[in-house]
Amino acid sequence: MRGYGQLVLAQFRLFLRNKQMLFWSLMFPIFLMTVIGFAFNGEESITFKGIIIDEDQSALSNQLSSLFLEEEVTNFALSEDKEQALTDLENGDISFVFVIPEQFESLIEQQDTENKPKTVLYYDQTNQMISNIAIPIIENNFVDQMSQEIASYEPVIQFEAQGVQALDLQYFDFLVPGIVAMMIMTNNLNGSAGQISSWRERGILRRMQSTTLHASSFISAQITARLVLNAFQVLIVILIGNLLFGVQVNGSWLLLLTFILLGTLTFMSIGFIIAGLAKNPESAGPISGFIAFPMLFLGGVFFPLDNMPEFLQPILETVPIAPLSTAMRQVMNVGAGLSDLWLPALYLVLWLLASFIVASLTFKWDDGVK
Amino acid sequence: MRSEMKDTNEPVIKVHKLLKRYDTFTAVNEIQFDVHHGEVFGLLGPNGAGKTTTIEMIEGLRKPDGGHAVVGGYDTQKQLNKVKEVIGVQLQSTSLFELLTVKEIVVMYASFYAHSVPVDPLLESVNLKEKMSTHVKNLSGGQKQRLAIALALVNDPLVVFLDEPTTGLDPQARRSLWDIILRLKDQGKTIVLSTHYMDEAHILCDRICLMDQGNIIALDTPDALIKNLQSQNAIEFNLPHLHTLDEQQVKTVENELKSIPSVENVEHHKDKIVLFTDHLQVTLTSFIQYVETQKWEVHDLKTRTATLEDVFIQMTGKGLDE
Repeated sequence: MRGYGQLVLAQFRLFLRNKQMLFWSLMFPIFLMTVIGFAFNGEESITFKGIIIDEDQSALSNQLSSLFLEEEVTNFALSEDKEQALTDLENGDISFVFVIPEQFESLIEQQDTENKPKTVLYYDQTNQMISNIAIPIIENNFVDQMSQEIASYEPVIQFEAQGVQALDLQYFDFLVPGIVAMMIMTNNLNGSAGQISSWRERGILRRMQSTTLHASSFISAQITARLVLNAFQVLIVILIGNLLFGVQVNGSWLLLLTFILLGTLTFMSIGFIIAGLAKNPESAGPISGFIAFPMLFLGGVFFPLDNMPEFLQPILETVPIAPLSTAMRQVMNVGAGLSDLWLPALYLVLWLLASFIVASLTFKWDDGVK
Repeated sequence: MRSEMKDTNEPVIKVHKLLKRYDTFTAVNEIQFDVHHGEVFGLLGPNGAGKTTTIEMIEGLRKPDGGHAVVGGYDTQKQLNKVKEVIGVQLQSTSLFELLTVKEIVVMYASFYAHSVPVDPLLESVNLKEKMSTHVKNLSGGQKQRLAIALALVNDPLVVFLDEPTTGLDPQARRSLWDIILRLKDQGKTIVLSTHYMDEAHILCDRICLMDQGNIIALDTPDALIKNLQSQNAIEFNLPHLHTLDEQQVKTVENELKSIPSVENVEHHKDKIVLFTDHLQVTLTSFIQYVETQKWEVHDLKTRTATLEDVFIQMTGKGLDE
């Protein structure tokens, strides 16, 4: 491992001294976070306006609608004009219309398993945030809780707890892990591809190749330096997210670091493949973009995967950014453990192995003049 | 000096029938030569002569299509790692990490080797001590080349390869680099140097291998190469109206000049004409008379001894810069 320490040091120096790159690679995620954060997050948390139509007007239906009305996150109002409410919904003035049907109480009291009362939630299908965040909240917090209170002898608290967690989920909490995943991808994929192909074109690699330096030392040094730099960058972004916007890390930092490591290695390997394919640094950029951009928009960074066309979802779940952003999100938001995340971890490890093998087969020290 | 190379009669580099082809083009055509201990060995030739390809095959950076090279007793293909230990390399297009300082770069390269020399004296020897904490991007072209040479020396190599070290440098920077190379020579380093500057080759090299189109056209000491020319003196002048003449007229001028006593050969390029002669005085006297009868207006008339460039022109029929 001769030269390893000095190469790691050199990479740190190059990174820290390239003020412009340092600034933008940190500024971009922070900027993105701030802009999107404020745009979607003017209030402390997301609020939804809705109207409840109580067609039953019974004691039980009252109990259910009061659950909605008491909630601070959702901003519901009672109304009797269903037609008007639905028009408001179509106009985008409100997000929900929740209808408690006639005979709600009597059907419950009959305890007929065949003929349960059916509440209906009308919502704006085009609003993805609502369909992804609010519906589960309503389902869990109001309807489940209600049926639990009515039908079961189990304590309600268990559900309260789950409810609180779901309620705390802001778009921001969804966004920041995605941005962190994006940062790991761009830093390593675009970063390695650009740097290595430029070092190759400028003959820097060739010059090193003429010394007794081993390729393994060079590559280990690259990996080490990038891991440390990424860990720091991610930490800074999460800290800023935490201080400015109250983003939480509910899960284990160690697990978070593990996924940062897996992500860094995977995207570095892909970056090395691109560096091998690209004839010069100028073409490395567009090739990286060609791979990174679709992943940014389809891989669950800004928009949940559930919003994607259903037939695409199984495919999209496997592109490397998706397991990374999913895992980051699960760890940070929900505090998931490795046992919950074995599938994304497996996807990442498979990607890492595959791209590492391809990278080591396609890697070239010089520009192909053999 | 390393123990394995005690026998100084044995060549440091043995090149045997090295061949390199790119598709149908033969870049280096089965060339052979030896380089001895402590000598500065020059590869001189125009661009595309195969100098860099030859050097990089000896360094083990390019795979030859035939033949082999032995450096310090090690085969460059079979024992590449051993070869890398005993050579120092300065590549033609040297590029280094721009944002590292001179000292950081040297320390980093030193760490690539099991055996390296102290950094400060090394930087002093290439006159870069004051620039130790300067970032590479702020160095001048000459300073960058001196740094490249320092890096080539960092492992105390048996042989140093310098591939066109002065190309693109201003005259002062070139001279400063020559001083460093001559100092290395005094210290007994074996140096393989490629260049397309004949003056540089003449000043620095003990022996010169003249290359053209992948072949060795001559290999000897600079003085011997010139001595072997048929004529060792040259009369050079400009004839401003030469380019206005047609081919037939030029031919006539050439023939008439050749008929001047003792003129061995006539070269012309654009408006410049060179007469090669054995007896400078005889030729010069007749030449002046001829010019007067022709009523020529001759510019920049001068006499000189023949140079390596003349050797090259005579052997290939073209100039080094063509």
